Amino acid sequence: MLNYLFFKGCTIPASLPAIEKLSFEVLPEIDINLTETDEFTCCPDPIRIQGANQLFWLSAAARNIAVAEEKQMDIMTLCNGCENTLAIANHKLKNDNDLKNRINEILKETGKEFKGTVKVKHFLQVLKEDIGLENLKKRIKTPLIELKVAGHPGCHILMPNEILKFDNPVDPEFYDNFIETLGATPIDYLTKNDCCGVSLGLAGEKEASNNCIKSKIIDARNSGAQIISTSCPSCFIQFDTGQFIASRDFPELKENPLPILFSIEILALAMGRTLDDIGYNFHRVKSPFGLNVQGGKSK
Amino acid sequence: MEVIKLKYDKNEILKKDKSTEVCFKCSTCSKFCPITQFVKRYNIEDSFVTQLFEAEKPEALHDVWMCCACEKCVITCPQDTNPTDVFTNLKEKAYQEGLAPEIIYRLVEQLLLESTVYGLKFANMARKRAGLKELVKNEKASKELNIIARKTGLSQEQEKE
Repeated sequence: MLNYLFFKGCTIPASLPAIEKLSFEVLPEIDINLTETDEFTCCPDPIRIQGANQLFWLSAAARNIAVAEEKQMDIMTLCNGCENTLAIANHKLKNDNDLKNRINEILKETGKEFKGTVKVKHFLQVLKEDIGLENLKKRIKTPLIELKVAGHPGCHILMPNEILKFDNPVDPEFYDNFIETLGATPIDYLTKNDCCGVSLGLAGEKEASNNCIKSKIIDARNSGAQIISTSCPSCFIQFDTGQFIASRDFPELKENPLPILFSIEILALAMGRTLDDIGYNFHRVKSPFGLNVQGGKSK
Repeated sequence: MEVIKLKYDKNEILKKDKSTEVCFKCSTCSKFCPITQFVKRYNIEDSFVTQLFEAEKPEALHDVWMCCACEKCVITCPQDTNPTDVFTNLKEKAYQEGLAPEIIYRLVEQLLLESTVYGLKFANMARKRAGLKELVKNEKASKELNIIARKTGLSQEQEKE
């Protein structure tokens, strides 16, 4: 059994709590044991809070890592943004003594100290490096045959590649391999590697954000996808809630919405759960999709 | 030969960022940027980066906050510059000078209040529906985060108190 300290981040517990619940139910079945703590704070996020104050961003991330160090546990994240922040901080401070000393001076009054003794891994990295897709395949109970999936790995788990070392940032493959392992068919589509556009909305560019969502949804659908799957909660919300909002401008999205599944949700379906079990009802896009599962539990 | 003349001297922060010294404004970054293409007012000839170079006070442009730090521009730059770092530095300067979008200040305020960027009241409504226990603010963690904010200059007002 692999033991990880679960870094839930802000978005999953607040906006997608059903995914948090599902993680505790499903991940032990693939030998990932998650430990909870309420001592973590926001990672903080790499787009806005890093922009506001880079030294604060790095120090707050170092404090979170120090929490895990006190418990002598490696961290598992479920969010690309959290992974990006914590992995960059962990890498920078492990490899730059002066920077580490400077940050520890800031942390001194909090009683925390960054030592550089733990690893920070995204769920997908745990799958890739610690479990292996071959081993995962043996655990699959209900392969998602005939399900065509457009995988969207998301930006922040791919770059900076020299730190994350996860996948080819220009032509990522791992998420498609993951989808294939679940028995489904990954669909290749032109905009696979493009941003979900969440930062456009954050900067007040609502129209551009809606256009970006439409572009990806239509591209995925035209390429034959029945659903989009992603491993990033921000991308998930952008495609699910964002698609609902964009459908006010684009009737084609309203008539024919494309369902979105988070990585944990699609894994759960392949582990024998039904759409009701995974909390599909909490999604904005609730359209039925062809789920022809071997073993017949989910339909 | 036509020479592009900049309207202004290089902004202080662009001067400081060494990676901008070798930029020859080929616009490759703009062509690969996955988000600027959706903003109607942009085109390749008058790109995100060109605008930044020509602006007297680029940090005042709210457009820098559109950067999602995906680093596609870093991968594709033929000159090995790091536009993402430049944008992050500009964001930071904007924040310090009170020029960032209002939402960023509200976000920081929320973060320092409850250690999460989502309000706990909102979060707990969603958690109740999903059958999960309520989130409770960890006072010790929050206090530590506020110490870090004070020490790093994020919350200068509190330092004065």
